Amino acid sequence: MTIVLFGGALAGAVRASLQPDPFSGAYTLSAWRSVVTDAAFRDAVAFTLVTTVAATVLSVVLALPVAAALRGRAWARTVAALPVLVPHLLVAILAVLWLGPGGLADRLLGGMPLDVVRSRSGVGIVLVYVAKEVPFLALLLLAAWDDDIAAREEAAAVHGAGPVARFRHVVVPGLRGPLTLGTLVVAAFVFGSFEVPLLVGPTQPDTIATYALRVTRIADLSGRADAAAALLVATAGSVLLAVVAGATVRRHRA
Amino acid sequence: MTGGLVCSRVAVALDGATILRDLDLTVQAGRLTALVGPSGAGKTTLLRALAGLEPLAGGSIVLDGRDLAPIASHQRRLAVVFQEPRLFPNLTVGDNVSFPLRMAGVDRRARRRAAGELLDEVGLVGTADRDPRGLSGGEQQRVALARALAGDPQLLLLDEPLSAVDPNRREGLRHLIAGIQRSRGVTTLYVTHDRAEAAELGDDLALLIEGRIVQHAPPEELFNRPASAVVARFFGASNILTGEVVSGRLRLSGGVTVPVDARDGTRTIAIRPERLALDPYGPLRGRCRTSSFQGTHRRIVVECAGVLLEAHLDGEVTVEPGDQLALSVPRRHVWVLPDAPTPVAVGERSARW
Repeated sequence: MTIVLFGGALAGAVRASLQPDPFSGAYTLSAWRSVVTDAAFRDAVAFTLVTTVAATVLSVVLALPVAAALRGRAWARTVAALPVLVPHLLVAILAVLWLGPGGLADRLLGGMPLDVVRSRSGVGIVLVYVAKEVPFLALLLLAAWDDDIAAREEAAAVHGAGPVARFRHVVVPGLRGPLTLGTLVVAAFVFGSFEVPLLVGPTQPDTIATYALRVTRIADLSGRADAAAALLVATAGSVLLAVVAGATVRRHRA
Repeated sequence: MTGGLVCSRVAVALDGATILRDLDLTVQAGRLTALVGPSGAGKTTLLRALAGLEPLAGGSIVLDGRDLAPIASHQRRLAVVFQEPRLFPNLTVGDNVSFPLRMAGVDRRARRRAAGELLDEVGLVGTADRDPRGLSGGEQQRVALARALAGDPQLLLLDEPLSAVDPNRREGLRHLIAGIQRSRGVTTLYVTHDRAEAAELGDDLALLIEGRIVQHAPPEELFNRPASAVVARFFGASNILTGEVVSGRLRLSGGVTVPVDARDGTRTIAIRPERLALDPYGPLRGRCRTSSFQGTHRRIVVECAGVLLEAHLDGEVTVEPGDQLALSVPRRHVWVLPDAPTPVAVGERSARW
């Protein structure tokens, strides 16, 4: 079913991107040429990569200490699971209402010290994803941070390993599989997602997803083919990350 | 302060429950003390407290003159071999062994050389580059032992290291531990619930019951001269009899008497089941209640003047339930328990009443 739905959509997008010549009806690569040569698209790719890497790295770096702090507490997984259930769209809307111009923080502080929402640096996008993905990754790590790892931490401690060495030599190797998987899943999601950049991202540069939306709005019918080509690039990036994630899971289980 | 381990009035509480209370224990430098006790007595808790894995609620732990209480686990200069090997699966066997050296900042070449020597010592020649997950349970425990020795610890703690090992391999590993401990002279506390293992390995034994050391003495003392009925029962002296001593004989109900070396008065004696022997003229007469072959001996239970006596006979003796039997025990094998159980320090002889 997944293959049919995903494959069907993908085939439709490929067909749409190969915009048929209006006279001969033959498929052409004109949409791909248009997209690849468009400076705005190249900016969108770069901006998407920057926000993806920043959001993913920050989420991973924060998720480890959060998981460490919550470890061993019975209620921890429930607490970590709650933010995961909240849709990204809702968090993005809250970010606009609380952190945007005229928002709650703006009024309380008498002016925001830095632009978060609509910032050209993409800080708003990154913050929303970090808020959403840190609990997700922490939950993933808590599930894997089991008694075996705790037992090996003790073994390391009584053989001379301090807290940092234990973290480096026992915890990180023990969590490497789920951590890598989670990182790739987060990166794949952020790379291809749409609603958060649209709500809290800047007008320029676009992300790949918002670029695709923008080009569909131009009067020229070729915009649809350009959007399909742009989205296929985003899809390719996400699929590549998903394939690597799958390989990681298989290697971790072996 | 002399060397070795000295625990004074140690108390440990877990989740609000007191596990160890006023525990005193001394392990002399270079010797192996076997800590025995039933499940739940607090053996592992004591070991974890010594290792710094559980906080003390009271008392002190001194190792070679250093108070360990304020020192973190990784700085205590001790090593632990746990029930499970707890090897690091992301490291090779050699890197597991040399882990304490890596933590101490020893360079890679020296670590590799030391790991090779230690693996030779524990009988795992040529395994340094192997994945530890590919080793058997016994081999993994040998790696854990080698790792524990790598840091040249002042105190070696072993927490039932043979319990997860295949029974056929236990003896070899037991001999290895004993040999290494003696050749290196490392102060060692060996936790086990196996009395025979404790007796074989320990220079002395400490029996832990409900969070307290109830007797600490050479193995022969605990087996043959227990300080209390609790100690006697734990070490297999299952025949605990109370009666009135008159002129060197303990009189039991039903007129049965047993020869004892004790002053007149109410006394409790302990007799090991293997000390009771079939004897047609023996004073302990009764009917056999159960008889079962145990592999190395035959275990019988005899009802004698309202008291059940357990005896271990030669395995080839045939005794059936219902048989009328007479048993005797030499006077020297009748141990009169002290009036009140008192801890006995290592090296002292238990008082014989």
